[in-house]
Amino acid sequence: MSLETSQLNELHWLMEMLHNIDVGLVVLDKDYKVQIFNGFMENHSGLLPREVKDQSLFDLFDEVPQDWFERKAESVFLLKNKAFTIWEQRPYLFKFDSYRPVTGSADFMYQNTTFIPLLSSTGEVSHLCLLVYDVTDNAIHKMNLEQVNEELAILSQTDGLTGLFNRTHWENCLQAEYKRWTRSQHSSSLVMLDIDHFKNVNDTYGHMVGDEVIRHISSLIREHVRETDVSGRYGGEEFTILLADTSLKNSYVFAERLRREVEAAVVKYNDIEVKYTISLGIAEIDPSIKNYEAWIECADAALYHSKENGRNKISLHPKQG
Amino acid sequence: MSTKLLICDDSNMARKQLARSLPDDWDVDVSFATNGEEGIEAIKAGKGDVLLLDLNMPVMDGYQVLEAILAQDLPTLTIVVSGDIQPEAHKRVTGLGALDFIKKPVNKEKLTEVLLAYGVFSKDSSQTEQVDPPKDTIQAAHLQDKTAKPAPLEITPVQTVAPQSNVEVSLSSDLRDCYQEVANVAMGRAGDLLARLLDVFVELPIPNVNFIEVSELRMALRDVEANESTSGICQGFISAGISGEALLILNDSSFKDVASLLNYQYDQDQGTELELLMDLANVLIGACLKGISEQLDIDFSQGHPVVLGQHRKISELIANNASKWKKTLAIEISYSIENYPIKCDLLLLFTEQSMLALNNKLTYLLE
Repeated sequence: MSLETSQLNELHWLMEMLHNIDVGLVVLDKDYKVQIFNGFMENHSGLLPREVKDQSLFDLFDEVPQDWFERKAESVFLLKNKAFTIWEQRPYLFKFDSYRPVTGSADFMYQNTTFIPLLSSTGEVSHLCLLVYDVTDNAIHKMNLEQVNEELAILSQTDGLTGLFNRTHWENCLQAEYKRWTRSQHSSSLVMLDIDHFKNVNDTYGHMVGDEVIRHISSLIREHVRETDVSGRYGGEEFTILLADTSLKNSYVFAERLRREVEAAVVKYNDIEVKYTISLGIAEIDPSIKNYEAWIECADAALYHSKENGRNKISLHPKQG
Repeated sequence: MSTKLLICDDSNMARKQLARSLPDDWDVDVSFATNGEEGIEAIKAGKGDVLLLDLNMPVMDGYQVLEAILAQDLPTLTIVVSGDIQPEAHKRVTGLGALDFIKKPVNKEKLTEVLLAYGVFSKDSSQTEQVDPPKDTIQAAHLQDKTAKPAPLEITPVQTVAPQSNVEVSLSSDLRDCYQEVANVAMGRAGDLLARLLDVFVELPIPNVNFIEVSELRMALRDVEANESTSGICQGFISAGISGEALLILNDSSFKDVASLLNYQYDQDQGTELELLMDLANVLIGACLKGISEQLDIDFSQGHPVVLGQHRKISELIANNASKWKKTLAIEISYSIENYPIKCDLLLLFTEQSMLALNNKLTYLLE
């Protein structure tokens, strides 16, 4: 085999590889007219090389945003620098179908692309080469992972039965609110409430009914709080509500409305009807309270006072500031 | 009479490279200064008929030196030799009285050409006094020329055998200086592209080179405020024996200005910010790697960029990839843009293993 034949062979093999490689290859001239189009592009677009030769990229593919593309390409022409785009900034350049139409969940092929400047013999950038990579699996995995992580984050903060915050997360929120108060000194109140004689409900009607009562008070709390308030399930039948930017007086109005509504409500479970009441304690933050734990103790003491004095009542923690 | 030449550059390597690039048959008496202040002193002491001046220096930078020369009417002819190749930088220094501007790294041909063009040096050995010196003086000049040249840079011995994995790598101050100078030139290239892309003047810092524990990486980011919200992109690169990652970190408060400079419609949705971040990353990382690969004669493959995170604290951005490497050679370049509160940090992180190959390349550069 002569040297020339072997070189020709190598060139032929190289061409064959480029045609068959599972990466999109397009060469464009300065007017964005297609010069080379490999097998990947041919199969995914359904266009033959002779159909696209010397045609404008933007006429061939409506989905390619001309302004965006030209901006990227011009910096490649001007700066003689590679440019990369990733699926996070634009899911695809060419709207191709995903490789797995049956078992895949993606509606289209997610793509990363690379723009490479091609130099002419005079050292000027005369053409650019576009590489198109299929990153569908990566993209889908990453998006799934992010979604699952978000769900997990919410799950780890939530009490399963009531949908309110769980104790850990609620305490974190309270701690943050306490810190905020030390800077801003905006008034803030903490309401703690407990279902009266809850043990009797469980003992008389069973835990299913007990759970229904807990769900009932939770949904009432959710109805009454504002978006900025933070409510959580503190223990078995004990609940906490942090009322941001709310004075003791206004908190009392809130608590009294809730107490009355509970008093008037009837919880129905199958043919069982239950009435119940709640006791509440409120503590407004003041300088005598040195940390968030002490704040909880103050509200808890007020709640204890309500319990001691006949239940179905509201007690206020005396202000000492 | 020999010409008094002063080389003023903070980098030891750059000073030596310059001294080596002087025309062979030039009767010259070379002195060195490591910052602008020393430079001015040396000129006043009569050591600088001709001044080869760097721009980015600590204590007193090149612009300040030019201003001082003008203000005090000091007798010297200045040629700026800098990695900052923005057209605006060129314009500013010639506006301040510099004869010409040579981009780093210098080579003998270009330096000779410029020296000839301004008559500072003439090839027929007639020198500035235009007196033909007798032959033996020329030989004497040759000798003197040789003695004026600094001794070759001392560099840690290069290992030609394959490095063992447990080999201890450290960064001597000589080597740090080399890296700093290479980074300086690469940074200048990238800064020039950035300036052209945004049509602004980019203020170039002195690159910060450290060989540090990966866990200390956060502390290397001296110019990013700890509490500010940031966004970042990283991109891996590799060449035979040398690999690492480039990180581009932008303060979130900079996005609005970058958007207006790039004529983007900024609508605060994350889409625009990611576009901007990617555009900056393409330009800065690409140009910086190109600058390094040209100087060291290597060719990098670049992976696809990956979003490190958006609107996070700097510690959260970097925390993710801290487990695998123990130590890293970190080159930090903080770009800021004149008249805009834009801050962006480019970090080039090389693996510990890469340093052996890099050190090797640097010694070639110094030969």
